[in-house]
Amino acid sequence: MGKEIKYQVTDYAGKLAKGFLKNPLTPVLGAFLLIMGYLSLTIMPREEDPQIAISGGAVIVAMPGASPREIENIIINPLERKLREVKGIEHIYGQAFDNYGVVSVMYYIGENREDANLKLYDKVMQNMDKMPKGVMQPLVKPFDIDIDIPILTFAFYAKDKKVDDVKLFKTVRELQQKINAVENVAKTTLKGARKEQYNIEVDMGKLSAYHLSLGQIMKAVQSVAVDVPDVKGRTQKNKLVIFGVKNAIESIEDVKNVIVAQYMGSPIYLRDVAKVTDGIDIQNFQTAKVRFKTDRKEKLGKEKSQVTLTVSKLAGTNAVFVADDVLKLLKQYDARLNKEGIGYLVTRNYGVRADEAVNELMDHLLITIVIIALMLVFALGWRESIIVTFTVPAILAVTLFVAYLSGQTINRITLFAFLLSLGLLVDAAIIVIENIHRHLHAHDAEQKEMGKLLVEATDEIGAPTNVATLAIILTMVPMAFVGGMMGSFMKPIPLNVPVALIASLFVAYIFTPYLSLKLLKKPTHKHHKGGK
Amino acid sequence: MKGLENFIYTILGSKKKKRMVLVLTALAFVGTLMMFPTKLVLAKMLPGKSDNTFSIYVDTPTGSSIEQTKAVSECVIDTIKDEKEIMNMELFLGQGVPLDYAGLVKGSAMKHTEDVAEISVNLTDKHTRDEPSFLMVQRLRPIVKQKCDSVVPGTNIRFIEQPAGPPTLASVVVEVHGDNLEKIRSLSMDVAKILKKTDGLVDVDVMADDIYDKYELIPDKEKIARSGLSVKQVNNILYLAFEGMQIAHKNSKNNPDQIPMFLILTKPSKKLASQNKDALQSKLSSLNLMNKKGMLVPLSEVVNIRKVKSNPKIMHKDLDRMINVTAETDMVSQVYPLLDAREKMIKYFSREYKVEKEPGMSTYMFDLHLTDKKTGERFLLRWDGEMKVTLDTFRDLGGAFIAALILIFLLLVVYYKSFVLSGIILLGSFLSIIGVILGHWVANWFTQETFFLTATSLIGFIALMGISSRNSLLLIDFTKSLMECHGMEKRKAIAVATATRAKPIALTAVAIILGSALLASDPVFGGLGVALISGTVAAVFVSLLFVPVLMHSVKAMDFEPADHCDVNNISITK
Repeated sequence: MGKEIKYQVTDYAGKLAKGFLKNPLTPVLGAFLLIMGYLSLTIMPREEDPQIAISGGAVIVAMPGASPREIENIIINPLERKLREVKGIEHIYGQAFDNYGVVSVMYYIGENREDANLKLYDKVMQNMDKMPKGVMQPLVKPFDIDIDIPILTFAFYAKDKKVDDVKLFKTVRELQQKINAVENVAKTTLKGARKEQYNIEVDMGKLSAYHLSLGQIMKAVQSVAVDVPDVKGRTQKNKLVIFGVKNAIESIEDVKNVIVAQYMGSPIYLRDVAKVTDGIDIQNFQTAKVRFKTDRKEKLGKEKSQVTLTVSKLAGTNAVFVADDVLKLLKQYDARLNKEGIGYLVTRNYGVRADEAVNELMDHLLITIVIIALMLVFALGWRESIIVTFTVPAILAVTLFVAYLSGQTINRITLFAFLLSLGLLVDAAIIVIENIHRHLHAHDAEQKEMGKLLVEATDEIGAPTNVATLAIILTMVPMAFVGGMMGSFMKPIPLNVPVALIASLFVAYIFTPYLSLKLLKKPTHKHHKGGK
Repeated sequence: MKGLENFIYTILGSKKKKRMVLVLTALAFVGTLMMFPTKLVLAKMLPGKSDNTFSIYVDTPTGSSIEQTKAVSECVIDTIKDEKEIMNMELFLGQGVPLDYAGLVKGSAMKHTEDVAEISVNLTDKHTRDEPSFLMVQRLRPIVKQKCDSVVPGTNIRFIEQPAGPPTLASVVVEVHGDNLEKIRSLSMDVAKILKKTDGLVDVDVMADDIYDKYELIPDKEKIARSGLSVKQVNNILYLAFEGMQIAHKNSKNNPDQIPMFLILTKPSKKLASQNKDALQSKLSSLNLMNKKGMLVPLSEVVNIRKVKSNPKIMHKDLDRMINVTAETDMVSQVYPLLDAREKMIKYFSREYKVEKEPGMSTYMFDLHLTDKKTGERFLLRWDGEMKVTLDTFRDLGGAFIAALILIFLLLVVYYKSFVLSGIILLGSFLSIIGVILGHWVANWFTQETFFLTATSLIGFIALMGISSRNSLLLIDFTKSLMECHGMEKRKAIAVATATRAKPIALTAVAIILGSALLASDPVFGGLGVALISGTVAAVFVSLLFVPVLMHSVKAMDFEPADHCDVNNISITK
């Protein structure tokens, strides 16, 4: 009776299923999606934590000799009032110290960083005329998290005694230059570095014995330590003759032999009143030490002086690649460092951590897919299970591709968004395949043409599935409006889960019927029954 | 499937049984909600995560020398050096460790004084280590504090872990606002005292400089002028003698940087005999200045020495004077110690101040306003740090949740053109909260540490709303078709639909449970995993039992057999 009635496709689900069911381009589309997803996975920048756009900056104003109360009145209060005029600032922090004041501002999360920095600088510069007298030029320092947080740190230390602090510093400084040249490396800094310095330590007793003052010594050294550029002279034939004064100070010996004053007709040399040494910057108290072991069972070694080299990457670049490149470069210097008696220790490697975090979650994704596939084998049969299992990578591929196009990075939270959506995105496919399965085993299945049956089965659950999926998407959307640090931290969830869900609908409607046509057959026992 | 169909059919047939289902559900709902006030389930924004590294911040009292700071730091390192899992330790004196997420908001990059040091501790890989870093920190903290706090009295040693989520200044931050500098100083000391006495709070720190003795050299302008000197000369020579100055530079071909020439007194001639005024006086008398006539004038002749107190720094936040008091939590949620400490504060400050609570509901709702009973000066104790972020996040997530509810409701109303049906679906999906809370309670049994209800649990719950509404939706749709197309009577139709949809509902539920199983073991996203797993289980029960009962009770489900319906559209496997 009703068998001859033409089935009217009512939903997009049915239309999609019908359109792609016998289209030769369907497998091409599938392959294309998978390749795109794979490419996105490999080239997308990886990092451990998502980037949070924190903008802010500090204005540092020095006024030598002023007490905190004075600084507060003269610098902090007027500056705070002025900065209040800038839109988008969430908090202003003022700190008044002896001799200087710092006003730092924090913008609302998500404020454009370039604009924020510019606004701060602009506001300070606009009001330069209102600067009180005796105040030094203000310093405006924006925070830059991408560049400020190093992804790699190395501790360089001396392996044997013959390497002194200065030698260590010089070698590390050379390496810093090389590492800074690596692609996408942004900022490199040294911590705990001791620089070479000529130290002139004056003995106060001798000073009074020779009847000298510290000021005289300062002037005497300053008067010889001058660099003069070469001068040009001309011959009568207008040819250039270039000559220059050689620097008076070439080595530590020259410093020692500076004549400070004449006493009773004989010269007093600097070495007579002071200990002059070629040493390190003794006034620098910012030193760094390291104790380490190479095996878990050992005891920590003795304390060693170290110089830490920090390396950070440019925003939006792949931490894994940058770290690899830098480590590779450093490997080339291993032999040289070894020969010079310098060892190093990698004390931080966010590249590895990012890669580990990403790979661990990829493993979790795979395991979960396998588990779901196994479950489906028991519940629906292995052919059906294969079909659903195929849809998962296809959906993830689409989602990854969209994420890549929208400039996101792969990080912990993105992958959690994937894991979260995994349970949801097989739903559409399961519902479709379950309905197909049911239709195939229905008593009137053998009278129907396979293709028509598949389209019908898909179309039937189309409307409620669409609404239900839309409902899940709607729950995710408001999450995008969660503000603050936490909001930005978990932004990948509302960004990616809806994409995955929409993709899951399309994939379920396009590929599930298509693959069913290729893989599934009407149950044979029905034919036997029909034949009877 | 027949069994389930009969089961539902019988329930729907008896009013008593229907009522029992409703009462049981209501009991379960109220019961699980009660787990919050009874503290069976604890809430926290994000739990700790095990990491391969942590830092130790050493703050000696303001005005301490680098040698003193070093002594404390070395004591710390010595105390923990025999820990098997520590692979290396780096000590950064007078500066912070290379910047990390934790240090970003804790001002680590700004450190440049002699009274600070930071130690970076790198551990073995977390996969091969049994003890998570947060437990290790908890274990080491009291040992280190007990041994090294006394090396330099007034030292503050803090253990800093990498945050699992966005970084905050500290777990608990109390901002003491007020105009009177001395008063907010003493108030903040009181606050610190109370925080120290509160269980679960550790590493309490007042972010204010300590006041120490210093000597002021007051230049005697008349004497200076008469001896043919200038004040500037006096200042310069003092700095040059004791701090030293780079007086000249030398450029060099084979040096990466310029070589400065640094002038200073030798150590023996710089050192004072003792820390008193006389010693300083005698030192200054041997330091000579040369005047314009070439005569030497001892420095002590032209300056007067006075002993004064140092000027502590002044902090502002949003143009208001304030002092921060910070504390970290010791493996507990910051919510409960905070409420505890707040109660104590209200009691303590009531003696001298009129204490008022912040009126109304906002994310500053725990703030306390103090008014001095004598002077009428007003102060504000504001809770910031992780608590503020937590409240902000929970508020925003709550808002997101309500928005999601409204959106789903509207969507369903558009689809069904019935408020009652949409209401049933919404109610059904809301009930998955029973599972979410219960799941956390159960998970707490199986984990060594407290299993908190976190922000990620809330995200899971929001996602669940969608999932369980999908179940109810398919159920209603199916019943509707059965009644319209097959002319089945309502009770039978609901029973058949429930039995038929049970399989895909169960299948998708199992898919979600399996998909989230691996999430549940993650320290940060464990809450999400558990919420999804237990919430889904609850959702299955709700949609297979509670929703059919509701459907049977409402008039909106009375569909008439439609004539336009194609009977073959729905085929039912029997």
